[in-house]
Amino acid sequence: MPPIIDEKLCIKCGTCVNICPQDVFFGSKKKKVPKITYPHECWHCNACVIDCPKEGAIKLRIPLPMNICYR
Amino acid sequence: MEETLIETDVLGVGGGIAGLMSAIRARELGVEVTLAEKANTLRSGSGATGCDHFRAYIPEFHGNDIDSVIEEVWHSQVGWTRSKEFIRTWMERSFDIVKLWDSWGIPMKYRGRWEFAGHAFPGRPFTTLKYSGQNQKTILTKEAKKRGVNIINRVMVNDLLYQNGIIGAIGIDTREDRIFIFLAKSVILSTGGCVRLYPSPTPGWLFNRADSPNTTGDGRAMAYRAGAELSNMEIPMRWAGPKYFARCGKATWVGVIKDPNGNPIGPFLKKPDRRYGDAIADVYKNLFEDYTRSGKGPLYMDCRGISNEDYQYMMHWMKHEGNTAIVNHLLEEGIDIRKNPIEFMTYEMTTRGGILYNERAETSMDGLYAAGDEYFGGVSCAATFGWIAGENGAIYAKNKERPRFQTFKDEIKEKKAFLENIRTRRIGPTWQEVNIALNQIMFDYAGAIRYENLLSAGYKQLKRLKEKAYKAIIAQNPHELMRVLEVLNLLDIGEVILLAVNERKESRDKYFRLDFPFQNPLLDGKILICKMKRNKPIFEWRKIKA
Repeated sequence: MPPIIDEKLCIKCGTCVNICPQDVFFGSKKKKVPKITYPHECWHCNACVIDCPKEGAIKLRIPLPMNICYR
Repeated sequence: MEETLIETDVLGVGGGIAGLMSAIRARELGVEVTLAEKANTLRSGSGATGCDHFRAYIPEFHGNDIDSVIEEVWHSQVGWTRSKEFIRTWMERSFDIVKLWDSWGIPMKYRGRWEFAGHAFPGRPFTTLKYSGQNQKTILTKEAKKRGVNIINRVMVNDLLYQNGIIGAIGIDTREDRIFIFLAKSVILSTGGCVRLYPSPTPGWLFNRADSPNTTGDGRAMAYRAGAELSNMEIPMRWAGPKYFARCGKATWVGVIKDPNGNPIGPFLKKPDRRYGDAIADVYKNLFEDYTRSGKGPLYMDCRGISNEDYQYMMHWMKHEGNTAIVNHLLEEGIDIRKNPIEFMTYEMTTRGGILYNERAETSMDGLYAAGDEYFGGVSCAATFGWIAGENGAIYAKNKERPRFQTFKDEIKEKKAFLENIRTRRIGPTWQEVNIALNQIMFDYAGAIRYENLLSAGYKQLKRLKEKAYKAIIAQNPHELMRVLEVLNLLDIGEVILLAVNERKESRDKYFRLDFPFQNPLLDGKILICKMKRNKPIFEWRKIKA
């Protein structure tokens, strides 16, 4: 389910919680690894991935219904 | 629920491109500005992680011929739904906005030149400037804060307060049980598009949308409830792009739309050409749906044959268009657009219409302004009319007295009781149920197939749904209350659309009625205005100056 946080890399800065346009991380606590409370409301905009200061700490898993079709 | 009262001169509702620009400009004129944003202005709205195209007239590039640029842009906006004066004002002011953005650190030039490309036809004027917008929201937020705009994030404004004109608004905190009461001399609505009205391209996944699924037509709905005029609500709008990952930016793809045998569908180009994109996707967004259903699909965005330089060019713009998630997905899946044609699809419907605002960003209500995708126009339209709205909203505020809280105590008490009641319910339909039920009604009764008996059946069903939703919908926390209010807004908009479609008894351009397949010349040059009177929409045909 989108997004996925690597708890070992996460520095608990809260940036993703602060900026998420859908408030997917609603209810997260300061200085703790964020909770992905509403994974179905993720727009997959990538804002959290772009703004996270620690490379690799957060990424998106694109759900199967949204996988791109190609030849 | 707690109450917070905020008194200000200009209240901006929505902190997207238009909202931030309006706040910046209003503040420059010396008035107090409060900007209420549902999420966080840093990444909110459809401009969230970027945009790479900006409609503009640039004398250094176009020469003196602004008229041909105006003509080209007017056609692209489904010309007959917007006045040419509006487009003229937009194009005349666009270069100032371009220079402003560049000075603030949003790169509007590419390799030192004005780069016009995409959304273009060979032989006709280029009107779309390529720009690097990935950090536009961060930069605009900084400019707003620098000037002392009071940005309040995580607030959903949902109802206007008015008495002989606008006096303020009421909203909810999206993270705590609290209502906000804003008293303002003027209000600027910039809440963006109208998403989540129809089923998504992947109906089981509600939030898979090309534009921000957080923009649920709140501005349209509250303006309508306050008695302001909406227009063109019956005109459908569809988008197109990669299947099944709903995203904007089809003009960023440097390729050709082809059938399964590798034949180009459109007449515009045979090989990938970075100057144009394939304009067939602009003029015929239903293409993908039509061809797939008639045995000629699936259709592909085929970038094979792209030069290495053009591939790098395209990838640069994909990033700035806000499509890094797609690029990452392609990488993870081992999909190489230079080898693998990508299937494209037609995305879901929404309304092209919205709050009627003129080239001064004025609505039909005194003190109420609107900008941006309140009436669809893209980033450049949002930025330009956001600026104009801020200017005029500030000037209006300077000549007005501040409203008094006492006047609205009863109304606020009633509103608070309504919200608290929703929050205390334990058993009932969730906002998802209502959203999905509404999506079904819109798709089945006012979708691609439109005729009178179907529309009136749909209307009855929607009214039943609306009544049940108001009586029983539940919200277990402030976030869900926000989603509830979004869905109640969408219900109002859906109701207007079902009735508006019924009013336009003809077919014209992309508007189609099965029971009226001809174009009615009596409706030439007219738009359909809608307004609430005694809790029901009433309609009026009005001539616009072409």
